[in-house]
Amino acid sequence: MDERLDFDVYEVFAQSDSLSPHVHVFNVLASSPDMAMALAEENFFRRAEFVSLWVVRRDQIHQIGFHDREGFQKTPKAYRTTDDYKYLRDKWRYYRDHPMNPDGSPAAGGTVDGTMDD
Amino acid sequence: MLEETLTDQEAYFLERVDRGDRIEADDWMPEDYRQQLVRLIAMHAVSEIMGALPEKEWVPRAPTLYRKLAITAKVQDEVGHGQLLIRVAEDLMRPWGKNREDIMDDLFTGRLKYHNVFHMATPTWADAGVIGWLVDGAAVITQGMSLSCSYAPYARALQRIVEEEGFHIQHGESICMALAEGTPMQRAMLQDALNRWWPALLMFFGPPEKNQLSTHQLRNIRYRIRSKTNEELRQRFFSKYVHRIWSLGLTIPDPTLYQDPVTKEWTYAQPDWEEFRQIVNNRGPRSEARLGLRSTTYQEGEWVRRTIALSPTAG
Repeated sequence: MDERLDFDVYEVFAQSDSLSPHVHVFNVLASSPDMAMALAEENFFRRAEFVSLWVVRRDQIHQIGFHDREGFQKTPKAYRTTDDYKYLRDKWRYYRDHPMNPDGSPAAGGTVDGTMDD
Repeated sequence: MLEETLTDQEAYFLERVDRGDRIEADDWMPEDYRQQLVRLIAMHAVSEIMGALPEKEWVPRAPTLYRKLAITAKVQDEVGHGQLLIRVAEDLMRPWGKNREDIMDDLFTGRLKYHNVFHMATPTWADAGVIGWLVDGAAVITQGMSLSCSYAPYARALQRIVEEEGFHIQHGESICMALAEGTPMQRAMLQDALNRWWPALLMFFGPPEKNQLSTHQLRNIRYRIRSKTNEELRQRFFSKYVHRIWSLGLTIPDPTLYQDPVTKEWTYAQPDWEEFRQIVNNRGPRSEARLGLRSTTYQEGEWVRRTIALSPTAG
């Protein structure tokens, strides 16, 4: 009991194809990186294929975890996304059917739906 | 943990659990939550490891090469599941200065129990089939519930495990189907195996609660470690499998088994719960033999683990 086996935990990451990122799979307990890779293959890839496999000793991983996020909700960020530009689809559809005149005046008889309010 | 005497930390933890947050290994958790998880996950881990042994007996005796390959793969999966779960348990036990050696010691000394079904004998090939079809079928009902467990690492391990159990069940169904469509002798072998396993299958879910939940169950439900009672899980097992068993012309060895057409509730003859207690306390038909095998193998592998630990690349 006094003399314990001193193995390390390795986190395992795998890439399933060349266009995918490496994704965290699980972890293994191993005495060396070589052993960790052998165990990772045996434990997690008896069926599935991978193109690349990483093992990283857990104490070498730096993380931002729950404690750091706690209490910090992200503010709304519609201006960083396409969420505020949904009206464009209707505009494009309208102008396809009612092209503007060369001076920018509207086509005869048409009004544009979905105009922004500002 | 009494809800009226909670510290702020405990109250906040329960609030997280209530809103469906998943807890990670490094998050603060009540000691009681950690204990309940270790109890459950270590038991699950050694059950996977001991669960490989009944079927392993049929690897050298499988009837065809294809069946031998498939059952070998299945046995390997079970040991792999044990590996995953032992890692999850180890991370939880770290603050106690404990690791997998303690889990194995607890198994060998009887402090840590494993599932009743893996104490039973597997005298025929049909037993291997019934284990895959119905024992793994029962296990997936329990594990399917646990996918919603509030402890994220366990839920992630279960996702991998349940996916492979899908193969195990069909592997078992295929063996049973072949026997059911076979000669009268093969059909008789399947019926015998079902008779042998039926009480063990009912025991698998644990004693019925009769409106009286144990302290452990209440805590596990409060912590969202589990969400259903033993009896709810057993009823689900009946609903899923009884008609399938009957559809192969097999007889379930319980003439009182009956489903109420209105409430859909099954009534059934209780297995001998005293026998259940004997079995899980390592006094089942094969408890001693299998624990002996596991313990001998563990001792014989000691020098390998030690050599690997001392290899130059270690650490």
